[in-house]
Amino acid sequence: MLKIKLQYSWDSFHADYRVNISPGVTTLLGASGEGKSTLLHLLGGFLNGHGELDFNSESLLGLAPYERPISTLFQSDNLFPQLTVWQNVAIGASPSLSLSTEQKDKVDWALEKTQLVDKTGRFPQALSGGQAQRVAIARVLVRNKPILLLDEPFSALDPALREEMLHLVKEVTEELSLTTLLVSHLPQEASLIGGKVILIEKGKVVAYEPVTVLNQTPAHPLFSHYFGVSSHSL
Amino acid sequence: MAALLRYSELSDWFGYVSQPYLWRVVRFSLWQALLSSGISILIAIPVASCLVHRRFYGRAFLLQLFSVSMVVPTIVAILGLVVVYGRTGWLSQLFGIQIPLYGLTGILLAHVFFNMPLAVRLLLQGYDLIPSGQWRQASQLGFSRITAFRLIEWHYIKKALPGAFVLIFMLCFSSFAVVLSLGGGPKSSTLEVAIYQALRFDFDLNKASFLALMQVAICTLFAVIVYRIAPVNRQDASLLSIELYVLKDSLWAKTTDSVAMLCVFFLVIPPFLAIFDPVFSTVFLQTLLSSSLWRAVIVSLQIALPAAAVSVMLGFCFGVLARFCMGRKYLTFLPNKIEHLGNMILMVPGLVIATGLFLLLRDFGWGLQSSYWIVVWVNAVMALPFVLRALMPSLYQQERRFRNVYLSLGIRNWSRWSLEWALIRKPVAQAFGYALLLSLGDMGVIALFGSQGLVSLPLYLFQLIGSYRLEEGACVAVVLITFCLVLFYMSSRLIGGASSVKN
Repeated sequence: MLKIKLQYSWDSFHADYRVNISPGVTTLLGASGEGKSTLLHLLGGFLNGHGELDFNSESLLGLAPYERPISTLFQSDNLFPQLTVWQNVAIGASPSLSLSTEQKDKVDWALEKTQLVDKTGRFPQALSGGQAQRVAIARVLVRNKPILLLDEPFSALDPALREEMLHLVKEVTEELSLTTLLVSHLPQEASLIGGKVILIEKGKVVAYEPVTVLNQTPAHPLFSHYFGVSSHSL
Repeated sequence: MAALLRYSELSDWFGYVSQPYLWRVVRFSLWQALLSSGISILIAIPVASCLVHRRFYGRAFLLQLFSVSMVVPTIVAILGLVVVYGRTGWLSQLFGIQIPLYGLTGILLAHVFFNMPLAVRLLLQGYDLIPSGQWRQASQLGFSRITAFRLIEWHYIKKALPGAFVLIFMLCFSSFAVVLSLGGGPKSSTLEVAIYQALRFDFDLNKASFLALMQVAICTLFAVIVYRIAPVNRQDASLLSIELYVLKDSLWAKTTDSVAMLCVFFLVIPPFLAIFDPVFSTVFLQTLLSSSLWRAVIVSLQIALPAAAVSVMLGFCFGVLARFCMGRKYLTFLPNKIEHLGNMILMVPGLVIATGLFLLLRDFGWGLQSSYWIVVWVNAVMALPFVLRALMPSLYQQERRFRNVYLSLGIRNWSRWSLEWALIRKPVAQAFGYALLLSLGDMGVIALFGSQGLVSLPLYLFQLIGSYRLEEGACVAVVLITFCLVLFYMSSRLIGGASSVKN
């Protein structure tokens, strides 16, 4: 269980997130600028907030990003352009790139799982957007951290590829029993990946419900405003 | 150079080649330049890494000091070095350590004092090109400092190293005032000093042009070899704002950083402090009240300000031309060449440029009254390599990242400059500051062309030392260095904006 009770202020933006997240996939929905990515950056340790952050009764707040049991996939800059695909995945297992046989096997397994076996010697510049994000997911598999944060990593991909990636994330989450948080602008993505949804408005968690809530007609009272905003913005 | 060559006799050149003295000078020039640039860069690498990763009290000041120390007037720095490392210097008085300051050791100490900070600044420019996303990933993946250095930093700084090495090598190879003051005799003489002797004492234009040509040839050969084996410097665009992410610390990292900072503390800071030593003497106030000092200050400003403006304008001309060639079908090879052309000025000794220009103007019938503009022009041209180093990376980056946006929106000329200004003002300030300080501290050109009405601060200082008024000279050095610090700060503040001073 991931227990979040975090406050963060920046300029005129004041956030106060309070929610207990159970394992499985949870999609973070909300309009732009409401504080979805801020929450992910706070969890990842890239922003300093106040309050409490516990995972399985262990406090994470005082830990540096690399000490937290978390892997984060960002919208961009997930790969090192100077390293090959294999090296980009392997640094997840050992930052110094000196791997044991077992770790090497794990890297190969992850590359196989993400269908990148024939791309191991390539550099990120030679990959398509989808392939590059698959490399990042392969690294997540190798790192094997219990929490996975996804900050719109598939937003630049075409719908078919995005769907493929979401299935991959879902599969990985179930197989490794992860607690996965996915930031998205699209309620359809939440429906596709299943699990639960969190609605964030003005830096606060206003709803934490099963994903089926999105299919209700008329719209769930807590989500009606968001859907109103979504339909206006479409 | 062409003007000088007109006065040369090819037949005499064979005679010069057979002189063993010439080859000794060439060998020593090469040896001391290689050692100086190698040591400067070896120290600069851990120092730059430490400055990037650690935030400590006095870091901003140290960076400002680094910017200034490479352009500290040579004569002032030599005074500081003598106070610290001389026979009765601080080192000898405090620890009883005697360093043979006159000879190779002295030359190396002075060159490292000037060029290690320059190497750090150049490497930091290389660090600036590392996308923040890489640091964020490194922080997430728990990279130690050595891993981050191996996998991220080295990849970027190895591209900045050849340029830095060539620049420092050329500066040391053509070192003039340092070798003249600390060389300790003909055993430790460089080509530049030999050119000076040929021009000043013998007025032998033939020999001077031969030696100058030889210097240009060696520097060109060296630059060609280094650039041929150097990797291409490419920029990776990242939209993530520049932030510092925490990396895993260790005892090893702390020890390396401490050793690097200790090197800085011993090599750079004491000579600086020594320069300010005369502030407490009684002569200082008397020197401040002297009208000759303030006349020299005004002359210095009259030379340095227009020279810096001209140099930055020249730098922009180079930059705009290089940018124009980028991404154009048959011109893509040109930007690098244009930048190298700017650096080539370092190969030609300042004295040769000045003498050549003087001869050229004399041929046109313009006499000595034009010497003010010769000094301004030569100073501007001599500062060009530094200006280009500061300007080019950010001009290139703007072009690479936003070229298509500018093209699609039709943003050109003045509108483009006004948009870019916020992003390039920091490097412009740095370029202007470098040019200003280099001109302010120039001793070579002004020594050749200085006259009754044209006595700048360094020349005034030189005249005082020449007439054994050492104490007054040291006080003038304080005034000169204070001017350097204040003008560099003001240039950063006024042109670069408040944030540039903080960085």
